[in-house]
Amino acid sequence: MSKPRIAVFDFACCEGCQLQIVNLEEEILDLLAGADVVEWREAMSEQSDEYDIAIIEGSITRPEDEARIKEIRSRAKVLIALGACATIGGINKLKNNFDLDEVKTCVYGADAGKPHLATAMTKAVDEVVTVDFKVEGCPIDRKEFTYIVRCLLLGKTPEIPVYPVCVECKANGNPCLWDQGEVCLGPIIKAGCGARCPSNSHRCFGCRGYVDNPNVNAAKDVIEKYNLDIDTLKLKMSLFGSQQEPTVS
Amino acid sequence: MTVKKLAKNDFDSFIDAIIQSKKVYGPQVKGEKYDFAQLNAAQDLCMDYDVSLLPPTKYFLPVRETLMTFEVGGGYTSQQDEEPFVLVGVHPYDLVAINQMDILFSQDNYDSHYMTRRKHATIVACDVVTPSANVFASSMGTAVVKEGADVLVTDIGDGYLLEAMTDKGAILLASATRATEADASDMQKRQAVRDVNQKSLNKHELKCDSAYLPKLLSQAYDHSVWEEMAETCFACGSCNVVCPTCYCFDVKDDVNWDMASGKRERCVDGCLLDGFTKVAGDHEFRKVQAHRFRHRLFRKAKYVPAKIGGQIACVGCGRCVSACLPNIANPVTIYNKLLDDLGMS
Repeated sequence: MSKPRIAVFDFACCEGCQLQIVNLEEEILDLLAGADVVEWREAMSEQSDEYDIAIIEGSITRPEDEARIKEIRSRAKVLIALGACATIGGINKLKNNFDLDEVKTCVYGADAGKPHLATAMTKAVDEVVTVDFKVEGCPIDRKEFTYIVRCLLLGKTPEIPVYPVCVECKANGNPCLWDQGEVCLGPIIKAGCGARCPSNSHRCFGCRGYVDNPNVNAAKDVIEKYNLDIDTLKLKMSLFGSQQEPTVS
Repeated sequence: MTVKKLAKNDFDSFIDAIIQSKKVYGPQVKGEKYDFAQLNAAQDLCMDYDVSLLPPTKYFLPVRETLMTFEVGGGYTSQQDEEPFVLVGVHPYDLVAINQMDILFSQDNYDSHYMTRRKHATIVACDVVTPSANVFASSMGTAVVKEGADVLVTDIGDGYLLEAMTDKGAILLASATRATEADASDMQKRQAVRDVNQKSLNKHELKCDSAYLPKLLSQAYDHSVWEEMAETCFACGSCNVVCPTCYCFDVKDDVNWDMASGKRERCVDGCLLDGFTKVAGDHEFRKVQAHRFRHRLFRKAKYVPAKIGGQIACVGCGRCVSACLPNIANPVTIYNKLLDDLGMS
């Protein structure tokens, strides 16, 4: 059996998640031994329109991006969304909380009306095309990425936690950051990161996206219990959790 | 066996001497709380701690461990942790939990990974000096113990009394060369500490004898309390992860890059978590959060007791009460509400 061909593409993002793949160090040789990388702008010059697995970094923010991602989807057998910008829209979705013209003027000033600066509401990749697997996080966790790739090479479905960050945080034996006055998003955000931020005394920013059924009633109760303002919670949620409609009213 | 007495600084020397030859774990400061961790020196040991963030059961059932390594199509090698260690400062309620786990992990499918660690452990328990904010061990009959540890330590103010409860404990205590024999007045002081703890580790008071709980729950399966409480449940599993008698785990395989070898790991899981009851074919037999919420309380006071001779599998450590952000996890609140509604029959 020939090795699967992998292509890596980027959309609106900082390209830091691709950098995590470049940074795999000794494991990158294992990855290259198991697959042929045919296009990867950040790491090589070659290009190809023939690939089996497309790895997509970044969110879809311009009209022309939609056409490009659809074209990639039509060529790939498997499509992987890499990192928060691709899986949930990431911080690019902050834009969706404002009027688009206002956003353009703020960034480009007098040039805002020029045609090549057209912009649209930010979308996660799966809001445009079908995504087969997601590698969550900002940035991604290298170990999780290689685990997912190994599963794919084996034809096995990767098992990624669907429970909240609290599980991994408590399992690490951390004191709860809420007790220290922090508005930590751990109870409503998907685990899998090993609770890296709260284990280093930083609240969870929510980069892996919400769990399937985040309990909003519970969040309101907890905000009251700790004598905090619901808008504080909404603001924290908007960083990685903004939607198509404004999150902060 | 005789009870020995050690001055507090001699106790530190005793622990420091053990550290020279074996791994020793004990409660230490972690932020504004305490947690069990490996001891480098006796001066880090907090024998007067209130409660640890995680229960000491983690030394027998780690949150993540490799069960075996395997070759695809070519057999496996089981991983057994045989390094001897000493676990110091286990509170009575946590000791009861460990003893319950000992029964559970040795019955039915004997769990060699847990039991190997258990056999290589020496447990030095200690009576509680500082009650924690949510402890209710007195309500559960676990505030004081008479057996289950290798050594039991009690702080009587001017020193520690140490009682060897097993041969392993006697061997450990033999190294406490500065120890004297406890006299009648020391023994009275120890009894006084226990008499107080027997009643006062009770920040939440259960309104019935804990032995009645299985019967209470047998009438409560369809009670509205489960739905009411679960309404503000995050399904975050914090109550599961911090519980000394929650032992559910998930098992996962990870294959190496050679696609020919790999490892099988188990890691902590919990009945409050989404996906916990999802099985092959996407079937899920507890879909509703209220049912998961009910399951935890039924495990503690009905299902597990049926497997371990009637012992209630909630030891009253209060960790779930402290860990639950929406404050719905307290078993005493729920059992008392059921008692109020259903009465005693």
